[in-house]
Amino acid sequence: MGVSPPAKDMGPASARRPIYRIEGLTKTYGEGASAVHALRGVDLSVDEGAMVVLLGPSGSGKSTLLNILGGLDTATSGHAWFHDRDVTALDDAALTEYRRRSVGFVFQFYNLVASLTARENVSLITEISDHPMDPAEALALVGLDARLDHFPAQLSGGEQQRVAIARAIAKRPEVLLCDEPTGALDSQTGTRVLAALDQVNRELGTTTFVITHNAVIADIADEVLLFGDGRLIGRRHNASRAAPMGLRW
Amino acid sequence: MRLRSTMTVKLFRDFWRLRSQAVAIALVIAAGVGTMIMAVGLISSLAATRDSYYDQTRFADIFAPLVRAPEMLMAKVRLLPGVAAADSRITTRATLDVKQVAEPVTARVHSLPPARASALNQLVLRAGRLPDPRHAEEVVANAAFVTATGLVPGDRIGAVLYGKRVELRLVGAVLSPEYIYALTPGQIFPDNRRSAILWMGREPLAAALDLNQAFNDVLVRLAPGERPPEAERRLDLLLAPYGGVGAYPRDQQISHRFVVDEISQLTTMATLMPPVFLLVAAFLLNIVLARLVDTEREVIGLLKAFGFPVRAIMLHYVQLAVLLALGGLALGIALGGWLGRGMAGLYQNFFSFPFLAFRIDTNAYLLAAAATLVPVMLGAATAVWRAARLSPADAMRPEAPPDYSGHAVTNLAAALGPDEPSRIILRGLMRRPLRSALTVIGLAAALMLLVASQSPMGSIGRMIDLGFGIADTSDLAITFAEPRDARALHELERIPGVLRVQPFRAAGARIRSGHHEVRDGLSGVAPGGTLSRTVDILGQTSDPPPAGVVITGRMARQLHVGVGDTIEAAVTEGERPVLHLPVAAVLDSPFGGAATLDRAVLDRLLREGDTLSGAYLQVDARALPGVYARLKVSPMVAAVTVRAATLQTMSDTIEQNFNIQTFFYTGLAMLVVVGVVYNSARISLSERARDLASLRVLGFRRGEVAFVLLGEQALLVLLALPLGIWAGIELWRFLIGKFSTDIFTIPFFIDPRVPAQGVLVVVVAAAGTALLIRRRVDRLDLVRSLKTRE
Repeated sequence: MGVSPPAKDMGPASARRPIYRIEGLTKTYGEGASAVHALRGVDLSVDEGAMVVLLGPSGSGKSTLLNILGGLDTATSGHAWFHDRDVTALDDAALTEYRRRSVGFVFQFYNLVASLTARENVSLITEISDHPMDPAEALALVGLDARLDHFPAQLSGGEQQRVAIARAIAKRPEVLLCDEPTGALDSQTGTRVLAALDQVNRELGTTTFVITHNAVIADIADEVLLFGDGRLIGRRHNASRAAPMGLRW
Repeated sequence: MRLRSTMTVKLFRDFWRLRSQAVAIALVIAAGVGTMIMAVGLISSLAATRDSYYDQTRFADIFAPLVRAPEMLMAKVRLLPGVAAADSRITTRATLDVKQVAEPVTARVHSLPPARASALNQLVLRAGRLPDPRHAEEVVANAAFVTATGLVPGDRIGAVLYGKRVELRLVGAVLSPEYIYALTPGQIFPDNRRSAILWMGREPLAAALDLNQAFNDVLVRLAPGERPPEAERRLDLLLAPYGGVGAYPRDQQISHRFVVDEISQLTTMATLMPPVFLLVAAFLLNIVLARLVDTEREVIGLLKAFGFPVRAIMLHYVQLAVLLALGGLALGIALGGWLGRGMAGLYQNFFSFPFLAFRIDTNAYLLAAAATLVPVMLGAATAVWRAARLSPADAMRPEAPPDYSGHAVTNLAAALGPDEPSRIILRGLMRRPLRSALTVIGLAAALMLLVASQSPMGSIGRMIDLGFGIADTSDLAITFAEPRDARALHELERIPGVLRVQPFRAAGARIRSGHHEVRDGLSGVAPGGTLSRTVDILGQTSDPPPAGVVITGRMARQLHVGVGDTIEAAVTEGERPVLHLPVAAVLDSPFGGAATLDRAVLDRLLREGDTLSGAYLQVDARALPGVYARLKVSPMVAAVTVRAATLQTMSDTIEQNFNIQTFFYTGLAMLVVVGVVYNSARISLSERARDLASLRVLGFRRGEVAFVLLGEQALLVLLALPLGIWAGIELWRFLIGKFSTDIFTIPFFIDPRVPAQGVLVVVVAAAGTALLIRRRVDRLDLVRSLKTRE
């Protein structure tokens, strides 16, 4: 696989700088009696280049946290610093620029543009990026070098999700935010998608967040964050990361 | 029962959710229904008003002018087969001196209808009273003239009647079925200030014209079921020895012709315009419903799984469609009634009817409801049928992503689209060719409407330019009471202030070829004329040919002749010779329909010396009052046409009518554009919400995302522009034949400003709508759009 060299020369984990610093982050939807507290005050620091898995039941606040970190949603209170920029203080235009330059997203339902081929779905992003990969190179990285000119309708769910990953990483983002990337996939296809994420994290050094409620997946992470009722209720560090292809669920 | 009421709740919630699209659709439906109700209502109102007016006043079926016949002859006329009633009368022309009007007023004078219930062409008194037979000087005038001049009963009017100067006194204002549209001979446009119709006692008029116990005009009403041609022939035979000029039926009576033409133009509008709007509306509703049904596939599957019959499900969506259309229908009916009443008011100004009640038949409502609801219900039913055909399990499974792998589409878009957003636009459009095409057609229809409705202004302007800029550059046109010899020309030349004089000869004639006949007459023109020239519809001037006649295209069609054929002209005055004339050329001139030939040739053929029927005058502007004063009392003058006044009246009338039209059609076209663009973009937005949200999440700026959605609409508008301009020009080419009459031929001419303004209206309306949609794109809920499954 013609893979480009890592974007950054990564030092040992202990020497890494934090990419996100989060303080007292809360998010409340609605007001008064009908108010829903999605986040009830989260404090957290995540290092550059880490593979992070967020575990927790539905409604535990993990998606809300990721949406705020990705600039898709705003916080009610608290701060989330990306390096030294407070993401919670950015306006809509600044958030757009932040997403455009620094963040890659992968969603459960792929969200590919049906009228564009795999290669064109990736080009969509490389055309607006400063130092993008070649779209074919990004697709090769996720093992789709033979499916470049296929439309989403001609690809399997797993393949569509890998196109979505290629699209997310082709602009060489600093962070990759994945919300239930394997949620709609069977175990075998899901592991291929996770392998692609693992490879991107290792080879490009992209800080990667993966939301799941599948505890098995936590084994591929450096860092596991456990969420419950809008709070960070636990944090675990894996001494070694499991190979995704070996996972079964 | 329980479920049905829940379905009703769903019905109204869905309707509420679709309210903004419903408004856009309602506006388009309202435009269609409104024009339809208005036109259909006006047609029946005008026709009903005309028919009852004709009946009440016993309007004649046949008109037969002649030179002079003894009153006893009427007994024979009344005995002719097919004749139900006949009246004789005296008709003449006069020049009036009215102090409120600077120019001489040209008048047609009739003897009053006899004072009995069975009299023909009875008058309707609008003010004052009818003349008292004991007072010779009393007259009534047509109400339009009285209003335009501000005359009041009691006012004195000087008149030159058959060469004698008489003093008349106005005692009332009347309406006549003969003058619903008051046009005096030689006029091309009604000028109610400078032309009048007078009625006076038969005896004083007979005395002035030396027609005691005689008449020069016959009115005939036919027995029911009788056809005019037979009666005309018998009448012509009877009247020929008395100088009968040829009887003509009501169909050729000028006022009646105008009313008929107006109704036929309205009919054209009623058949052309509402279908355009209603088809566009049906298409809009169809795409809205198709989209709704797509998003409700799972609901439909669920209902089927619960055991709901397909019929009930279809009924539910058909009800929704009807609900969406009802608002437009109601609005359209209200709009149509309002517009119809407004238009009836305008017609009342234009046509002199004693009453014009705007009424809408129940049939018109039924027609509008059927035209609206039938396509709407069919559209809804087919959309639902597609979904209802699926098995419940299939319907509940989400639809697979649309497949764009068709090779032609892929390759073409790849070749055309410079970047990915452009390819998204192109592939989206090409994947739904029918919807894209219908959107383009809807927008083009709006532009077509604008171009076709605004083009008459340019064409009529062109016609006036040709008629008054090139053909007739005189200041005054004088028509004599009867043909005069060359001395009359010198008399005119001697009037102080008259700079130049050009004579003309006109002779009444029935022109025939085989069994085809027209009554346009012969016109003798001097070659090399400077004040009046023959001009064709393209602006080319020409001299009359040294031999033979030039006829208009209309006459050539009516007589079925062409260049080289010979026509027969039975002259209806003087020695009444029958001439055989070769057609030298066929040429459409903007005004007038007479067959034209060299004046010297005509004089020779008529076996007359140098005679003239009138003359064109060029007059020093400072001397005009003096010239008018002389003409007002001149015994030889029967009519004076003031070029500047004619021009002014024409442009005032045209401008007034077209200002209303411009406002009307611009409004309608904008409704269509807004309706089409809004719905097309809303549907696109709903289908593309995930794509667009993805782009936003991926870091596309708002403008870049809006480009994908609105670029599609812009492209459709762009495609519609040339199509709309072309269709508008072709529609106008088609309509022009319907708007030309015996009196004028409208040249085909497109003022380049017309399509430009049309494009501007369409683009502005589309851009305004795009801005509304853009606000929705800006407010896209990114997280929700992405997390929902298609």
